[in-house]
Amino acid sequence: MTRGIPDVRATEGRAPDVFSRDGWVPMRSHRDGEDVDFAIVGTGAGGGVMAAKLAEAGFSVVAFDAGPFFRPLADFASEEREQDKLYWTDERISDGRDPIELGSNNSGRAVGGSTVHFQMVALRFRPEWFLARSALGYGRDWPVDWREMWRAYDEVEDALKIAGPVRYPWGPRRGRYPYRPHEVNASGLVLARGAEALGVGWAPCPIATLSAPRGRAPPCVYRGFCKIGCSTNAKQSILNTYIPRALAAGAEVRDLAMVARIETDASGRATGLHYHRGGEWRFQQTRNVVVAGYSIETPRLLLNSAGPAHRHGLANAEGLVGRELMVHVNDAVWGTMEDEIRWYKGPPSMAVTEHWNYEDRKDFHGGYAIMSQGPLPTDFATSMVGNLGAFGMDLRRRMAGYNHMAGLKIVGEVMPDPENRVTLSDETDALGLPVPRITFGYGENDRAIGRHARGFMSEMLRAAGATDLFETTGTAHLMGGCPMGFSPQDSVVDADGRAWSCDNLWICDGSVMPTGGGVNPSLTIMANSARIGHRIRALAARGELARAA
Amino acid sequence: MRPRVPSERSRRAVALTALASVGLVAGAAWVSRRRPPRRRPEGSRAARQVRQGAALLAGSVLADSTMEHYRGGFHNRTMFVAPVSSGLALVSALAPGMMTRRARQAVNAGAVGAGLAGHLFHLRNVLRRPGALSWESMFYAAPLGAPGAMTLAGLAGLAATRLETGQPRGAEALRAGRIGSLGTVAGLLGTTAEVALLHFRGAFHNPMMFAPVILPPLAALAVADAARRPDRARLRLARILLRATAAMGLAGAAFHAWGVHRNMGGWRNWRQNLQVAPPLPAPPSFTGVALAGLGAAHLLEEARR
Ligand SMILES: Cc1cc2nc3c(=O)[nH]c(=O)nc-3n(C[C@H](O)[C@H](O)[C@H](O)COP(=O)(O)OP(=O)(O)OC[C@H]3O[C@@H](n4cnc5c(N)ncnc54)[C@H](O)[C@@H]3O)c2cc1C
Ligand code: SF4
Repeated sequence: MTRGIPDVRATEGRAPDVFSRDGWVPMRSHRDGEDVDFAIVGTGAGGGVMAAKLAEAGFSVVAFDAGPFFRPLADFASEEREQDKLYWTDERISDGRDPIELGSNNSGRAVGGSTVHFQMVALRFRPEWFLARSALGYGRDWPVDWREMWRAYDEVEDALKIAGPVRYPWGPRRGRYPYRPHEVNASGLVLARGAEALGVGWAPCPIATLSAPRGRAPPCVYRGFCKIGCSTNAKQSILNTYIPRALAAGAEVRDLAMVARIETDASGRATGLHYHRGGEWRFQQTRNVVVAGYSIETPRLLLNSAGPAHRHGLANAEGLVGRELMVHVNDAVWGTMEDEIRWYKGPPSMAVTEHWNYEDRKDFHGGYAIMSQGPLPTDFATSMVGNLGAFGMDLRRRMAGYNHMAGLKIVGEVMPDPENRVTLSDETDALGLPVPRITFGYGENDRAIGRHARGFMSEMLRAAGATDLFETTGTAHLMGGCPMGFSPQDSVVDADGRAWSCDNLWICDGSVMPTGGGVNPSLTIMANSARIGHRIRALAARGELARAA
Repeated sequence: MRPRVPSERSRRAVALTALASVGLVAGAAWVSRRRPPRRRPEGSRAARQVRQGAALLAGSVLADSTMEHYRGGFHNRTMFVAPVSSGLALVSALAPGMMTRRARQAVNAGAVGAGLAGHLFHLRNVLRRPGALSWESMFYAAPLGAPGAMTLAGLAGLAATRLETGQPRGAEALRAGRIGSLGTVAGLLGTTAEVALLHFRGAFHNPMMFAPVILPPLAALAVADAARRPDRARLRLARILLRATAAMGLAGAAFHAWGVHRNMGGWRNWRQNLQVAPPLPAPPSFTGVALAGLGAAHLLEEARR
């Protein structure tokens, strides 16, 4: 498959075998008119896990994704521009005080979702963050006990065979990571030296790529193309972990199937999905809908699904859908080392310090994790053009030093703010669907985090021997938009991921996160989805899938 | 309900590995049976076994250190010492006629010294890294235990030169057998420690990876017990476990060959994968130690007569 229009692959009873170059695995198929138990929108971190969990629990499941079904061994090139095919690059309007950049830094579009191109950093939330408001005095509480989340973390870490340090230096004791840590690359050792010089802890970063063989997947070869899609299958994305599991357990996956609207009846219950696939509009009947399109597409789909009982959009009685959208502060400091570093070697972030996540003596709320960096050339050049206005000879000179560069970047917590939100604009896309508008502005605390972090990272880099330091700013990841909470007045869904105002609608992706935490979100999204999967099974066993009656 | 996870290990893989290891073990047995009895004047049976052990150990160190130090780009001159020293020890064990006895003693004493120095060099490398004596360094810095194999090779070589002057008898055989057993026990346990660390690094992803951390310590126990009280039953048990360990060392090479195949590109990409996959020459060092141990057992047997 090259650029241009990819073809539908998961159809007629078979789906791509992701561990082969051109093979297939059998797939159970359902007719549109068949009333399936669950129709899932999105097959990323949240949706992919859910598809596997529900299928393994014996439900009939159809999972839709707007993106293609790739076979990494054959479809992924070692070329940055070619791999743009992994990103969600449809038109979106971005405004507000600090409009966020959208696309390659926060949204994917493929079976497997954004995990197909994520950078594999697999960190857990600090336990106190689940009680951010009551224990730490900021943001919101999660309606979930941290121990329940930690059990779910265990489960997904094992499913992804996370390679992590033998002993993790922060937080309560955790079980051993399923695989051992990778050898930290030179870029990670710069972080380590800086941390040791400043007297803060550091660790090999727990990452979702294999440090030993697993089934048909080889261990990582450290070529560093992770962010544009790993072509060896060493990376443990949803595409090569939970999706094969879901298919084996009897789920159907429909690739290149864009869901436009959820149909509801007069009582307000969901009855099916309108979706576009193979050039035509179709309708899938279903008993339950799970939405997992991530923080922009999930609110967009709900807002676009008004019905007789949901005048302002599905599950939007209180006007909360789309609100409290969060990003992560992604500011960075870069410098030149005397030694050759060749930071592109290996996964981009192989060392981490969570010092400022677990240290509470600081003058801002929330926290941040610092990670070593290894951007690919085009990525790095782009960020220098954007941030420094470097161009021409200046850019060339800077890029000539590429192999001696080192950098540190944060994932910094952003406070939930109702004014940061997703709404529908008046414009429409090629399918005639309203284009989403994303309004975003940093708050004072968010800026304080960025300032603090840039100062601290500069100190670290200097202590590690870097010179010619410069800073860049930016955002990463998306969280929130359909927060999970305690009552219909404060949230869109309850602790089970079930919409307060529609009892057969569930959400299990990044959009339900009430707070963003100071770590990359995907592990938390997966754990939360696995947890919700267990809850749905328990509810079904008790005959409580329909709340009313 | 048990989740139906797609099979992690292909049946073909298991079958092939099993076949390969059975073949290797059977082959080894066949070769050793068909070998015409060597009645060379210089060699008692114990001496021969100990020298074979020394040869295997030296060969294993030669191949392993050459590969690993090549991977490290020989960035430090002293990294040449390991292959050179183990190479000389190998020659002295395989072709003793090529060197005078004096030279052989010197070469093997040199290997012992180089091995001990190697520990220090590797320790220095570990301590220089951020994290110093952390798991990360133990996994990926210069391996602290590895040079021990060269020390063992040198010791076995020295023992072989000592024994070639004629089989000791009576009390002297007992003493020699006990010293040899001690060396065997130390060698088995040291090698096991190294393997345990590296197989832990590999997360014991294949259950067979437990074999070399279980069997050799059992053999070491049996050897120690037999050295303490060399009666018939104890010696028999020690021999059985040593033979099993020797066979396991060879089978290990086959398993590691399978490991090469499980890396990206498999054997087609051998130039890369021989370096990153489990080292082919490493497991036979168990065979080397076990052979030397069989020599020691023979001495103990001799003392009983
Ligand atoms: C470059 C990059 C690096 C990252 N690195 C890390 C990292 O190192 N660690 C980490 O924890 N996180 C990382 N992330 C974030 C992580 O990938 C996401 O947070 C996570 O995947 C979000 O999960 P999700 O299920 O909410 O959405 P996604 O994984 O994005 O899945 C949503 C899926 O839904 C589909 N979809 C959306 N709307 C529709 C519709 N209407 N119809 C059909 N399908 C639809 C999309 O095509 C997509 O495949 C990274 C993200 C990016 C972009
Ligand atoms: S460095 Fe490892 S995880 Fe990243 S693309 Fe290469 S093989 Fe995949």
